[in-house]
Amino acid sequence: MLNISNVTKTFNGLFEPVLKKINFLLQEGEFCTLIGANGSGKSTLLKIISGEYFADSGEVRRNGDVSQVVQDVNRGTIPSMTMLENIALSRMKKPRFAFYKRHKNEIMDGIRSLNIGLEKFVDQPLSVLSGGQRQAIATLMALTSGCKILLLDEHTSALDPKMQLLLMEYTAKFVRELGLTTLMITHNMEDAVKYGDRLIMMHRGQIVADIKGREKSALKIQFLLEMFHKFEDQSLVHDGEKNVH
Amino acid sequence: MSTDLIVNGLQQGLILAIIAYGIMVPFRFLDFADLTADGAYPLGGTICAVCVSAGIHPATAIPISMICAGIMGICTAFIYLRLQINSMLAGVILSTMAYSVNLRIMGKPNIALFDCGVLFGENILVNMLITTALLVGCVAPFGVFLRTDFGLRFRSVGLNPNLAKLQGISIEKYTIFGLFIAGSMFGLAGSLIVQLQSYMDVGIGVGILIHGLASLMIGEAIVGNGTLNRQLVAPLLGALVYQQIQGVSLSFGLAPSDLKFFTGTIVLTVIALKKWR
Repeated sequence: MLNISNVTKTFNGLFEPVLKKINFLLQEGEFCTLIGANGSGKSTLLKIISGEYFADSGEVRRNGDVSQVVQDVNRGTIPSMTMLENIALSRMKKPRFAFYKRHKNEIMDGIRSLNIGLEKFVDQPLSVLSGGQRQAIATLMALTSGCKILLLDEHTSALDPKMQLLLMEYTAKFVRELGLTTLMITHNMEDAVKYGDRLIMMHRGQIVADIKGREKSALKIQFLLEMFHKFEDQSLVHDGEKNVH
Repeated sequence: MSTDLIVNGLQQGLILAIIAYGIMVPFRFLDFADLTADGAYPLGGTICAVCVSAGIHPATAIPISMICAGIMGICTAFIYLRLQINSMLAGVILSTMAYSVNLRIMGKPNIALFDCGVLFGENILVNMLITTALLVGCVAPFGVFLRTDFGLRFRSVGLNPNLAKLQGISIEKYTIFGLFIAGSMFGLAGSLIVQLQSYMDVGIGVGILIHGLASLMIGEAIVGNGTLNRQLVAPLLGALVYQQIQGVSLSFGLAPSDLKFFTGTIVLTVIALKKWR
Protein backbone atom coordinates (compact mmCIF):
# COMPACT_ATOMS: atom_id res chain seq x y z
CA MET A 1 0.00 0.00 0.00
CA LEU A 2 1.25 3.48 -0.87
CA ASN A 3 -0.69 6.48 0.37
CA ILE A 4 0.16 9.97 -0.86
CA SER A 5 -1.68 12.75 0.99
CA ASN A 6 -1.48 16.44 0.11
CA VAL A 7 2.15 16.29 -1.03
CA THR A 8 3.47 19.70 -2.06
CA LYS A 9 6.98 20.60 -3.15
CA THR A 10 8.60 23.85 -4.29
CA PHE A 11 12.24 24.11 -5.28
CA ASN A 12 14.33 27.11 -4.27
CA GLY A 13 14.22 29.84 -6.91
CA LEU A 14 10.90 28.71 -8.41
CA PHE A 15 7.68 30.58 -7.68
CA GLU A 16 5.33 27.84 -8.80
CA PRO A 17 5.27 24.55 -6.81
CA VAL A 18 6.54 21.52 -8.71
CA LEU A 19 3.89 19.43 -6.90
CA LYS A 20 0.56 20.85 -5.73
CA LYS A 21 -1.37 18.84 -3.12
CA ILE A 22 -0.95 15.42 -4.72
CA ASN A 23 -3.32 12.75 -3.36
CA PHE A 24 -3.73 9.11 -4.31
CA LEU A 25 -3.76 5.68 -2.74
CA LEU A 26 -2.25 2.59 -4.38
CA GLN A 27 -3.57 -0.72 -3.07
CA GLU A 28 -1.23 -3.64 -2.43
CA GLY A 29 -0.22 -5.28 -5.73
CA GLU A 30 -1.59 -2.43 -7.86
CA PHE A 31 0.44 -1.51 -10.97
CA CYS A 32 0.01 2.19 -11.67
CA THR A 33 1.53 4.06 -14.58
CA LEU A 34 2.29 7.74 -14.23
CA ILE A 35 2.27 9.78 -17.42
CA GLY A 36 2.68 13.42 -18.28
CA ALA A 37 4.86 15.85 -20.19
CA ASN A 38 8.38 16.79 -19.13
CA GLY A 39 8.33 19.07 -16.09
CA SER A 40 4.95 17.86 -14.87
CA GLY A 41 6.46 16.69 -11.55
CA LYS A 42 6.48 12.90 -12.04
CA SER A 43 10.14 12.29 -11.18
CA THR A 44 10.00 14.69 -8.22
CA LEU A 45 7.06 12.70 -6.86
CA LEU A 46 8.99 9.45 -7.21
CA LYS A 47 12.00 10.96 -5.45
CA ILE A 48 9.77 12.04 -2.56
CA ILE A 49 8.29 8.54 -2.32
CA SER A 50 11.78 6.95 -2.33
CA GLY A 51 12.99 9.39 0.34
CA GLU A 52 15.53 11.12 -1.89
CA TYR A 53 13.65 14.44 -1.56
CA PHE A 54 11.53 15.75 1.29
CA ALA A 55 8.07 17.16 0.68
CA ASP A 56 7.37 20.71 1.91
CA SER A 57 4.05 19.50 3.25
CA GLY A 58 1.89 16.42 3.08
CA GLU A 59 2.58 12.81 3.93
CA VAL A 60 3.81 9.64 2.21
CA ARG A 61 2.83 6.36 3.91
CA ARG A 62 4.38 3.11 2.74
CA ASN A 63 3.65 -0.40 4.01
CA GLY A 64 7.19 -1.67 3.30
CA ASP A 65 10.59 -1.07 1.77
CA VAL A 66 10.87 0.81 -1.51
CA SER A 67 13.12 -0.12 -4.44
CA GLN A 68 13.55 1.81 -7.62
CA VAL A 69 14.97 1.48 -11.10
CA VAL A 70 15.99 4.71 -12.77
CA GLN A 71 16.74 5.62 -16.37
CA ASP A 72 20.44 6.30 -15.73
CA VAL A 73 21.91 2.86 -15.09
CA ASN A 74 25.06 4.36 -13.53
CA ARG A 75 22.90 5.78 -10.73
CA GLY A 76 21.22 2.47 -10.04
CA THR A 77 24.24 0.17 -10.13
CA ILE A 78 27.97 0.14 -9.34
CA PRO A 79 29.72 -0.54 -12.65
CA SER A 80 33.10 -1.38 -11.09
CA MET A 81 31.59 -4.08 -8.85
CA THR A 82 30.80 -7.53 -10.20
CA MET A 83 27.28 -8.57 -11.15
CA LEU A 84 27.20 -10.85 -8.10
CA GLU A 85 28.25 -8.02 -5.77
CA ASN A 86 25.69 -5.60 -7.22
CA ILE A 87 22.81 -8.04 -6.81
CA ALA A 88 24.04 -9.19 -3.38
CA LEU A 89 24.14 -5.56 -2.24
CA SER A 90 20.47 -5.07 -3.12
CA ARG A 91 19.46 -8.15 -1.09
CA MET A 92 21.09 -7.05 2.16
CA LYS A 93 18.40 -5.32 4.14
CA LYS A 94 19.67 -7.16 7.24
CA PRO A 95 23.45 -7.53 6.76
CA ARG A 96 25.43 -10.20 8.65
CA PHE A 97 29.06 -10.90 9.31
CA ALA A 98 28.98 -13.65 6.70
CA PHE A 99 30.43 -13.90 3.19
CA TYR A 100 28.13 -12.29 0.65
CA LYS A 101 28.92 -15.11 -1.80
CA ARG A 102 26.54 -17.33 0.19
CA HIS A 103 23.77 -15.77 -1.96
CA LYS A 104 25.38 -16.94 -5.20
CA ASN A 105 22.97 -19.82 -6.00
CA GLU A 106 19.86 -17.67 -5.54
CA ILE A 107 21.47 -14.85 -7.51
CA MET A 108 22.31 -17.24 -10.35
CA ASP A 109 18.66 -18.37 -10.42
CA GLY A 110 17.62 -14.73 -10.72
CA ILE A 111 20.07 -14.06 -13.55
CA ARG A 112 18.88 -17.19 -15.39
CA SER A 113 15.29 -16.00 -15.08
CA LEU A 114 16.22 -12.95 -17.20
CA ASN A 115 16.93 -15.43 -20.00
CA ILE A 116 19.41 -13.21 -21.84
CA GLY A 117 22.53 -15.31 -21.25
CA LEU A 118 24.19 -13.19 -18.56
CA GLU A 119 25.08 -16.12 -16.28
CA LYS A 120 28.66 -16.30 -17.52
CA PHE A 121 29.30 -12.68 -16.48
CA VAL A 122 28.32 -13.21 -12.84
CA ASP A 123 31.88 -12.62 -11.57
CA GLN A 124 32.66 -9.85 -14.08
CA PRO A 125 32.34 -6.11 -13.39
CA LEU A 126 29.04 -4.68 -14.65
CA SER A 127 31.05 -2.26 -16.80
CA VAL A 128 31.71 -5.08 -19.32
CA LEU A 129 27.96 -5.31 -20.10
CA SER A 130 25.93 -3.23 -22.55
CA GLY A 131 23.56 -0.51 -21.27
CA GLY A 132 20.54 -2.77 -21.84
CA GLN A 133 22.10 -5.71 -20.03
CA ARG A 134 23.04 -3.48 -17.10
CA GLN A 135 19.51 -2.12 -16.93
CA ALA A 136 18.21 -5.69 -16.84
CA ILE A 137 20.49 -6.34 -13.85
CA ALA A 138 19.34 -3.10 -12.19
CA THR A 139 15.72 -4.27 -12.63
CA LEU A 140 16.58 -7.70 -11.23
CA MET A 141 18.26 -5.98 -8.25
CA ALA A 142 15.09 -4.04 -7.48
CA LEU A 143 12.75 -7.01 -7.98
CA THR A 144 14.74 -9.38 -5.75
CA SER A 145 15.47 -6.86 -3.01
CA GLY A 146 12.53 -7.97 -0.89
CA CYS A 147 10.78 -4.63 -1.34
CA LYS A 148 7.01 -4.17 -1.16
CA ILE A 149 6.89 -1.04 -3.33
CA LEU A 150 8.61 -0.73 -6.70
CA LEU A 151 9.27 2.60 -8.43
CA LEU A 152 10.21 2.60 -12.12
CA ASP A 153 11.40 5.89 -13.60
CA GLU A 154 11.47 5.45 -17.40
CA HIS A 155 13.63 2.40 -16.81
CA THR A 156 13.36 1.13 -20.38
CA SER A 157 13.39 4.44 -22.27
CA ALA A 158 17.11 4.33 -23.19
CA LEU A 159 16.95 0.77 -24.57
CA ASP A 160 16.37 -0.59 -28.06
CA PRO A 161 12.77 -1.72 -28.82
CA LYS A 162 13.55 -5.44 -28.48
CA MET A 163 15.21 -4.99 -25.08
CA GLN A 164 12.42 -2.60 -24.02
CA LEU A 165 9.79 -5.25 -24.69
CA LEU A 166 11.81 -7.99 -23.04
CA LEU A 167 12.47 -5.97 -19.89
CA MET A 168 8.89 -4.68 -19.62
CA GLU A 169 7.47 -8.21 -19.96
CA TYR A 170 9.95 -9.48 -17.38
CA THR A 171 9.14 -6.64 -14.98
CA ALA A 172 5.39 -7.04 -15.36
CA LYS A 173 5.58 -10.83 -14.86
CA PHE A 174 7.61 -10.54 -11.64
CA VAL A 175 5.55 -7.63 -10.31
CA ARG A 176 2.40 -9.79 -10.64
CA GLU A 177 4.07 -12.88 -9.15
CA LEU A 178 5.47 -10.98 -6.17
CA GLY A 179 2.38 -8.78 -5.74
CA LEU A 180 4.44 -5.58 -5.64
CA THR A 181 2.77 -2.20 -5.45
CA THR A 182 4.26 -0.50 -8.50
CA LEU A 183 4.41 3.06 -9.75
CA MET A 184 5.94 3.40 -13.22
CA ILE A 185 6.77 6.63 -15.05
CA THR A 186 6.69 6.27 -18.80
CA HIS A 187 6.35 8.40 -21.92
CA ASN A 188 5.24 5.36 -23.85
CA MET A 189 1.42 5.44 -23.88
CA GLU A 190 1.22 1.89 -25.26
CA ASP A 191 3.17 0.58 -22.26
CA ALA A 192 1.15 2.74 -19.89
CA VAL A 193 -2.14 1.26 -21.16
CA LYS A 194 -0.85 -2.30 -21.60
CA TYR A 195 0.82 -2.80 -18.21
CA GLY A 196 -0.93 -0.40 -15.87
CA ASP A 197 -3.98 -1.41 -13.82
CA ARG A 198 -4.40 2.29 -13.33
CA LEU A 199 -3.23 5.39 -15.20
CA ILE A 200 -2.49 8.71 -13.55
CA MET A 201 -1.76 11.73 -15.68
CA MET A 202 0.07 14.74 -14.27
CA HIS A 203 0.31 18.25 -15.64
CA ARG A 204 2.15 21.18 -14.04
CA GLY A 205 2.35 19.52 -10.62
CA GLN A 206 -1.25 18.32 -10.48
CA ILE A 207 -3.13 15.12 -11.19
CA VAL A 208 -5.40 15.83 -14.15
CA ALA A 209 -6.63 12.30 -14.84
CA ASP A 210 -6.86 9.09 -12.79
CA ILE A 211 -8.31 6.08 -14.63
CA LYS A 212 -8.67 2.73 -12.85
CA GLY A 213 -8.59 -0.74 -14.41
CA ARG A 214 -12.27 -1.36 -14.96
CA GLU A 215 -12.73 2.15 -16.32
CA LYS A 216 -10.03 1.80 -18.97
CA SER A 217 -12.44 1.94 -21.89
CA ALA A 218 -11.22 2.70 -25.40
CA LEU A 219 -12.96 6.07 -25.28
CA LYS A 220 -11.19 7.14 -22.11
CA ILE A 221 -7.84 5.99 -23.43
CA GLN A 222 -8.44 7.99 -26.62
CA PHE A 223 -9.30 11.06 -24.52
CA LEU A 224 -6.19 10.52 -22.39
CA LEU A 225 -4.02 10.20 -25.49
CA GLU A 226 -5.31 13.50 -26.85
CA MET A 227 -4.67 15.20 -23.52
CA PHE A 228 -1.20 13.70 -23.33
CA HIS A 229 -0.22 15.01 -26.76
CA LYS A 230 -1.77 18.41 -26.03
CA PHE A 231 0.23 18.72 -22.80
CA GLU A 232 3.43 17.53 -24.50
CA ASP A 233 2.97 20.26 -27.16
CA GLN A 234 2.31 22.85 -24.43
CA SER A 235 5.42 21.71 -22.62
CA LEU A 236 7.49 22.19 -25.79
CA VAL A 237 6.10 25.71 -26.28
CA HIS A 238 6.69 26.48 -22.57
CA ASP A 239 10.32 25.25 -22.81
CA GLY A 240 10.80 27.26 -25.98
CA GLU A 241 9.52 30.43 -24.30
CA LYS A 242 11.87 29.86 -21.36
CA ASN A 243 14.77 29.55 -23.79
CA VAL A 244 13.82 32.79 -25.56
CA HIS A 245 13.71 34.66 -22.22
CA MET B 1 73.61 -1.69 -4.55
CA SER B 2 74.52 -3.66 -1.42
CA THR B 3 72.51 -6.51 0.09
CA ASP B 4 72.13 -4.45 3.25
CA LEU B 5 70.43 -1.67 1.29
CA ILE B 6 68.03 -4.16 -0.31
CA VAL B 7 67.17 -5.86 3.00
CA ASN B 8 66.75 -2.56 4.82
CA GLY B 9 64.60 -1.37 1.92
CA LEU B 10 62.37 -4.43 2.37
CA GLN B 11 62.03 -3.78 6.11
CA GLN B 12 61.18 -0.10 5.52
CA GLY B 13 58.90 -1.13 2.66
CA LEU B 14 56.84 -3.37 4.93
CA ILE B 15 56.21 -0.45 7.30
CA LEU B 16 55.50 1.90 4.40
CA ALA B 17 53.01 -0.67 3.09
CA ILE B 18 50.98 -0.25 6.29
CA ILE B 19 50.79 3.50 5.57
CA ALA B 20 49.82 2.79 1.97
CA TYR B 21 46.97 0.56 3.23
CA GLY B 22 45.89 3.39 5.53
CA ILE B 23 45.78 5.75 2.54
CA MET B 24 44.02 3.21 0.32
CA VAL B 25 41.10 2.44 2.67
CA PRO B 26 39.42 5.88 2.62
CA PHE B 27 40.73 6.84 -0.83
CA ARG B 28 39.53 3.77 -2.72
CA PHE B 29 36.63 2.48 -0.60
CA LEU B 30 35.08 5.74 0.64
CA ASP B 31 36.19 8.14 -2.12
CA PHE B 32 37.61 10.22 0.74
CA ALA B 33 40.94 12.01 0.22
CA ASP B 34 42.28 11.65 3.76
CA LEU B 35 45.38 13.67 4.63
CA THR B 36 45.40 12.62 8.28
CA ALA B 37 48.50 10.45 7.74
CA ASP B 38 50.92 13.36 8.33
CA GLY B 39 49.43 13.74 11.84
CA ALA B 40 48.28 10.22 12.79
CA TYR B 41 51.59 8.54 11.91
CA PRO B 42 53.70 10.69 14.29
CA LEU B 43 50.89 10.51 16.87
CA GLY B 44 51.24 6.70 16.82
CA GLY B 45 55.00 7.10 17.17
CA THR B 46 54.62 9.58 20.02
CA ILE B 47 52.22 7.42 22.02
CA CYS B 48 54.44 4.39 21.48
CA ALA B 49 57.63 6.25 22.52
CA VAL B 50 55.99 7.67 25.64
CA CYS B 51 54.51 4.28 26.60
CA VAL B 52 57.78 2.36 26.08
CA SER B 53 59.85 4.96 27.92
CA ALA B 54 57.30 4.77 30.77
CA GLY B 55 58.00 1.05 31.07
CA ILE B 56 54.94 -0.31 29.26
CA HIS B 57 55.71 -3.48 27.28
CA PRO B 58 56.52 -2.56 23.63
CA ALA B 59 53.93 -5.06 22.33
CA THR B 60 51.24 -3.42 24.48
CA ALA B 61 52.31 0.04 23.30
CA ILE B 62 51.35 -0.89 19.71
CA PRO B 63 47.57 -1.35 20.19
CA ILE B 64 47.49 1.74 22.43
CA SER B 65 49.11 3.77 19.61
CA MET B 66 46.71 2.29 17.08
CA ILE B 67 43.65 3.21 19.12
CA CYS B 68 44.89 6.80 19.71
CA ALA B 69 45.67 7.32 16.02
CA GLY B 70 42.34 5.67 15.13
CA ILE B 71 40.55 8.19 17.34
CA MET B 72 42.31 10.92 15.38
CA GLY B 73 40.80 9.36 12.23
CA ILE B 74 37.37 9.51 13.87
CA CYS B 75 37.97 13.22 14.64
CA THR B 76 38.69 13.82 10.92
CA ALA B 77 35.43 12.05 10.08
CA PHE B 78 33.46 14.19 12.54
CA ILE B 79 34.98 17.44 11.24
CA TYR B 80 34.08 16.38 7.70
CA LEU B 81 30.58 15.12 8.52
CA ARG B 82 29.42 17.53 11.20
CA LEU B 83 31.17 20.77 10.19
CA GLN B 84 30.80 19.96 6.47
CA ILE B 85 34.47 20.82 5.87
CA ASN B 86 36.20 19.49 2.78
CA SER B 87 37.85 16.11 3.49
CA MET B 88 41.35 17.30 2.58
CA LEU B 89 41.05 20.45 4.68
CA ALA B 90 39.79 18.42 7.67
CA GLY B 91 42.91 16.21 7.44
CA VAL B 92 45.28 19.19 7.10
CA ILE B 93 43.74 20.98 10.10
CA LEU B 94 43.99 17.91 12.32
CA SER B 95 47.54 17.10 11.20
CA THR B 96 48.61 20.64 12.06
CA MET B 97 46.94 20.36 15.46
CA ALA B 98 48.52 16.93 16.04
CA TYR B 99 52.01 18.48 15.83
CA SER B 100 51.33 20.53 18.98
CA VAL B 101 49.58 17.60 20.66
CA ASN B 102 52.61 15.37 20.02
CA LEU B 103 54.98 17.98 21.46
CA ARG B 104 52.74 18.36 24.49
CA ILE B 105 52.58 14.56 25.05
CA MET B 106 56.34 14.08 24.68
CA GLY B 107 57.26 17.28 26.52
CA LYS B 108 60.23 17.67 24.15
CA PRO B 109 60.82 17.34 20.40
CA ASN B 110 62.31 13.85 20.53
CA ILE B 111 62.63 10.75 22.71
CA ALA B 112 65.44 8.18 22.47
CA LEU B 113 64.54 4.59 23.33
CA PHE B 114 68.07 3.15 23.19
CA ASP B 115 67.93 2.07 26.82
CA CYS B 116 64.38 0.76 26.65
CA GLY B 117 63.27 -2.68 25.51
CA VAL B 118 61.73 -2.57 22.01
CA LEU B 119 60.24 -5.26 19.76
CA PHE B 120 63.05 -5.13 17.22
CA GLY B 121 66.63 -6.34 17.73
CA GLU B 122 69.82 -6.73 15.74
CA ASN B 123 68.56 -9.60 13.54
CA ILE B 124 66.92 -7.94 10.55
CA LEU B 125 65.23 -11.14 9.38
CA VAL B 126 63.46 -11.51 12.73
CA ASN B 127 62.51 -7.83 12.50
CA MET B 128 61.01 -8.39 9.07
CA LEU B 129 59.14 -11.42 10.33
CA ILE B 130 57.61 -9.41 13.19
CA THR B 131 56.62 -6.58 10.82
CA THR B 132 55.16 -9.04 8.29
CA ALA B 133 53.16 -10.80 11.02
CA LEU B 134 51.68 -7.49 12.21
CA LEU B 135 50.97 -6.37 8.64
CA VAL B 136 49.22 -9.63 7.76
CA GLY B 137 47.47 -9.60 11.14
CA CYS B 138 45.85 -6.28 10.21
CA VAL B 139 45.31 -6.62 6.47
CA ALA B 140 44.06 -10.24 6.34
CA PRO B 141 41.08 -9.70 8.70
CA PHE B 142 40.26 -6.50 6.80
CA GLY B 143 40.38 -8.46 3.53
CA VAL B 144 37.96 -11.01 5.02
CA PHE B 145 35.72 -8.19 6.27
CA LEU B 146 35.51 -6.73 2.75
CA ARG B 147 34.03 -10.03 1.55
CA THR B 148 31.21 -9.98 4.09
CA ASP B 149 27.83 -8.23 3.84
CA PHE B 150 29.18 -5.30 5.86
CA GLY B 151 32.34 -5.12 3.72
CA LEU B 152 30.29 -4.99 0.53
CA ARG B 153 28.19 -2.17 1.96
CA PHE B 154 31.39 -0.39 3.07
CA ARG B 155 32.79 -0.55 -0.49
CA SER B 156 29.54 0.70 -2.00
CA VAL B 157 29.74 3.94 0.03
CA GLY B 158 32.61 5.33 -2.03
CA LEU B 159 31.58 3.85 -5.37
CA ASN B 160 27.97 5.05 -5.47
CA PRO B 161 26.86 6.97 -2.35
CA ASN B 162 23.39 7.62 -3.79
CA LEU B 163 22.75 3.94 -4.34
CA ALA B 164 24.19 3.18 -0.89
CA LYS B 165 21.73 5.63 0.68
CA LEU B 166 18.83 4.02 -1.20
CA GLN B 167 19.93 0.64 0.18
CA GLY B 168 19.61 2.08 3.69
CA ILE B 169 23.37 2.21 4.25
CA SER B 170 24.58 4.83 6.73
CA ILE B 171 27.27 6.83 4.94
CA GLU B 172 28.25 8.45 8.25
CA LYS B 173 28.83 5.21 10.17
CA TYR B 174 30.91 3.66 7.42
CA THR B 175 32.95 6.86 6.94
CA ILE B 176 33.75 6.95 10.67
CA PHE B 177 34.64 3.26 10.63
CA GLY B 178 36.85 3.61 7.54
CA LEU B 179 38.76 6.57 8.95
CA PHE B 180 39.25 4.75 12.25
CA ILE B 181 40.77 1.80 10.37
CA ALA B 182 43.00 4.16 8.34
CA GLY B 183 44.11 6.05 11.47
CA SER B 184 44.88 2.79 13.27
CA MET B 185 47.09 1.71 10.40
CA PHE B 186 49.00 5.01 10.51
CA GLY B 187 49.35 4.53 14.27
CA LEU B 188 50.68 0.99 13.78
CA ALA B 189 53.24 2.20 11.23
CA GLY B 190 54.30 5.07 13.51
CA SER B 191 54.80 2.80 16.51
CA LEU B 192 56.77 0.27 14.43
CA ILE B 193 59.13 2.83 12.91
CA VAL B 194 59.82 4.32 16.34
CA GLN B 195 60.61 0.89 17.76
CA LEU B 196 62.74 0.04 14.73
CA GLN B 197 64.79 3.23 15.02
CA SER B 198 64.62 3.32 18.87
CA TYR B 199 63.99 7.02 18.41
CA MET B 200 61.03 9.31 18.04
CA ASP B 201 61.20 12.78 16.55
CA VAL B 202 58.20 15.07 16.29
CA GLY B 203 58.98 15.71 12.62
CA ILE B 204 58.83 12.08 11.40
CA GLY B 205 55.45 12.59 9.76
CA VAL B 206 56.43 15.37 7.38
CA GLY B 207 55.78 14.17 3.84
CA ILE B 208 54.86 10.60 4.86
CA LEU B 209 51.57 10.91 2.98
CA ILE B 210 53.31 11.42 -0.33
CA HIS B 211 55.51 8.34 0.26
CA GLY B 212 52.43 6.24 1.00
CA LEU B 213 50.58 7.67 -1.98
CA ALA B 214 53.57 6.96 -4.26
CA SER B 215 53.57 3.35 -3.01
CA LEU B 216 49.85 2.96 -3.68
CA MET B 217 50.14 4.48 -7.16
CA ILE B 218 53.10 2.27 -8.10
CA GLY B 219 51.32 -0.83 -6.77
CA GLU B 220 48.14 -0.04 -8.69
CA ALA B 221 50.18 0.66 -11.83
CA ILE B 222 51.77 -2.80 -11.53
CA VAL B 223 48.81 -5.01 -10.55
CA GLY B 224 45.85 -2.70 -11.18
CA ASN B 225 42.87 -2.22 -8.87
CA GLY B 226 40.11 -3.88 -10.87
CA THR B 227 39.46 -6.67 -8.35
CA LEU B 228 39.46 -6.82 -4.58
CA ASN B 229 42.53 -9.09 -4.52
CA ARG B 230 44.51 -6.74 -6.76
CA GLN B 231 43.42 -3.78 -4.64
CA LEU B 232 44.66 -5.53 -1.50
CA VAL B 233 48.01 -6.56 -3.01
CA ALA B 234 48.78 -3.17 -4.61
CA PRO B 235 49.87 -1.22 -1.46
CA LEU B 236 52.27 -3.96 -0.31
CA LEU B 237 53.83 -4.53 -3.71
CA GLY B 238 54.00 -0.79 -4.41
CA ALA B 239 55.70 0.00 -1.09
CA LEU B 240 58.32 -2.72 -1.56
CA VAL B 241 59.08 -1.57 -5.12
CA TYR B 242 59.08 2.10 -4.12
CA GLN B 243 61.61 1.53 -1.33
CA GLN B 244 63.87 -0.34 -3.73
CA ILE B 245 63.61 2.51 -6.26
CA GLN B 246 64.62 4.91 -3.50
CA GLY B 247 67.52 2.61 -2.56
CA VAL B 248 68.73 2.44 -6.17
CA SER B 249 68.47 6.23 -6.51
CA LEU B 250 70.49 6.80 -3.33
CA SER B 251 73.14 4.29 -4.41
CA PHE B 252 73.45 6.21 -7.69
CA GLY B 253 74.28 9.36 -5.73
CA LEU B 254 70.89 11.06 -5.23
CA ALA B 255 71.12 13.34 -2.16
CA PRO B 256 68.69 12.30 0.64
CA SER B 257 67.43 15.89 0.68
CA ASP B 258 66.24 15.41 -2.92
CA LEU B 259 64.11 12.37 -2.07
CA LYS B 260 60.84 14.27 -1.58
CA PHE B 261 61.18 15.93 -4.99
CA PHE B 262 62.01 12.54 -6.45
CA THR B 263 58.93 10.98 -4.78
CA GLY B 264 56.63 13.69 -6.10
CA THR B 265 58.04 13.14 -9.59
CA ILE B 266 57.30 9.40 -9.31
CA VAL B 267 53.67 10.04 -8.28
CA LEU B 268 53.12 12.49 -11.15
CA THR B 269 54.79 10.16 -13.65
CA VAL B 270 52.61 7.20 -12.62
CA ILE B 271 49.44 9.32 -12.82
CA ALA B 272 50.47 10.68 -16.24
CA LEU B 273 51.24 7.17 -17.54
CA LYS B 274 47.83 5.96 -16.35
CA LYS B 275 46.14 8.85 -18.22
CA TRP B 276 47.98 8.25 -21.46
CA ARG B 277 47.66 4.45 -21.45
